[in-house]
Amino acid sequence: MKLLTHNLLSSHVPGLRPGGGFPLRIELGRPSELPPEPLPNSESDEEFLRRVHHVLLEVEVLEGSLQCPDSGRRFPISKGVPNLLLSEDEA
Amino acid sequence: MEHEATQLEKQHVHSVYESTAAYFSDLQTKAWPRVRNFLLEQKPGSLVVDIGCGTGKYLSVNSQVYNLGCDYCEGLVEIARKKGDEVLVCDNLNLPFRDQCFNAVISIGVIHHFSTKQRRIKAIKEMARILTPGGQIMIYVWAMEQKNRRFEKQDVFVPWNKALCSRRFSESNQSGDKGEFVHTAKGQDIHPAQLVISECSYQNNLQPETDSKHSHSMDHCLPRACCMKISEEENRFYSALGRSFRSWFFSRSLDEAALRKQSDKMKRLKHEGVWANSTIPIQHSRHCSLDLGHHGSLLNEPSLDDDDDVFVESLSLKKPQWSPATAAPKDLSLNGGHQSVAQSKGDKASFLNGPVEDRDCLCGCNKDGAGKSDNSKFFKRTSTTDSTDSALDSAVSVGDQTDAMLDTKAFMRYYHVFREGELCSLVEENVPELQILSSCYDHGNWCIIAERRG
Repeated sequence: MKLLTHNLLSSHVPGLRPGGGFPLRIELGRPSELPPEPLPNSESDEEFLRRVHHVLLEVEVLEGSLQCPDSGRRFPISKGVPNLLLSEDEA
Repeated sequence: MEHEATQLEKQHVHSVYESTAAYFSDLQTKAWPRVRNFLLEQKPGSLVVDIGCGTGKYLSVNSQVYNLGCDYCEGLVEIARKKGDEVLVCDNLNLPFRDQCFNAVISIGVIHHFSTKQRRIKAIKEMARILTPGGQIMIYVWAMEQKNRRFEKQDVFVPWNKALCSRRFSESNQSGDKGEFVHTAKGQDIHPAQLVISECSYQNNLQPETDSKHSHSMDHCLPRACCMKISEEENRFYSALGRSFRSWFFSRSLDEAALRKQSDKMKRLKHEGVWANSTIPIQHSRHCSLDLGHHGSLLNEPSLDDDDDVFVESLSLKKPQWSPATAAPKDLSLNGGHQSVAQSKGDKASFLNGPVEDRDCLCGCNKDGAGKSDNSKFFKRTSTTDSTDSALDSAVSVGDQTDAMLDTKAFMRYYHVFREGELCSLVEENVPELQILSSCYDHGNWCIIAERRG
């Protein structure tokens, strides 16, 4: 799962307050070195853009989970694929 | 009804795809050109999502956009993942995406798997929700009206039988991802023997391949169907071949069943409408649309549309003769429907619970001039290059299948095929946030492109 994808995801557990499902908290299965947060900077800064591009599109979470910020419900990520299915009881 | 709908889809959509996913990687399915074009027209840098992406066929069409795919089926998603696609597992009815974040959404051959109108609407609404204003969605669904024929009813099961696999025909697969069986020209009666022979040799060729594996859950194959023509001569031929066929009949969708429940209790009791009572919506055949040649259709419910054709096929091998049922159509009650026919043929067991063989084949063709013809030729082959025509041939109506039928090695996939204009109406009447830009018919599918208002 790329981080850009993560940016688009929101927990859809029923009963959350509006916006309560975003952002999902990434929990890594194995410790991994994430690049440092880029400082908010002008968009024309090429170095900045390179780093953003790298973080969004070239870093992938392979194993771990996504945790709903409000409900705490965890969605697993396995082999790079997040599973965002709710069980029938939950939905 | 939600529970029934979920169960139906679980059994006849999700588990089928999950079980057959392993075979998909071998399938060289083509991307529909129109879909490709839609994707290629998106501006570079767009966020595009394929809802119901399967193995990710469309995720590498346009490398200038961010392609995301999702599907309910883990097996298929894994295949896409191995190709390097960005994919996730989720439910179309509850998309885990933020509002208004995508520039384009495609839904190709997906929402026809939802078993109620409300769920189909919900699926579309969810997809509209995640579209940014001005963003576009393309939806493809199977059409009821195929090139030369049409599905019997709108709610059907399409079998997916191991016996239908054939490498021989993979080359002839011209379009789409549904296998097709090229038939002879429309309107011509093919000599049954010729047809059968060609079918048989096809089947026989498969034998070495298909007999090797016999495990129940892994019996599956490419989604092709064979269409057989049946006559008395063929009975002998089929006996010799040692195969049995079953017919499948059509009844009602879950939606219809719900309406009926309210307005038609007495009738339902009489006809044993078990629809609402079972978790798996199996309904004994309420009307047996058996065209027995000169007897025409056995049962014609008054509420059937005028343009509903009679649908036939069943040829049990054990019997030398396909004899017409003696009971009058109206008198065939639900339980009696199948059974009386079976009894008249003298071999109820094989009719209802025939041996499950690898090469069980479910055939069904519309018979032209339903019920009127005197001859024993039940149906005509029509030519088809449409992707879903082969499915037409073997489709079974929801509600008419029996337990035995569902228990075969054929994986039955549920489809609600759309009539002309139905998809448009569905969107216009229920999804005001979308504005339809165009609609068309493409290779057996109804297709629309709509834009998110705002």
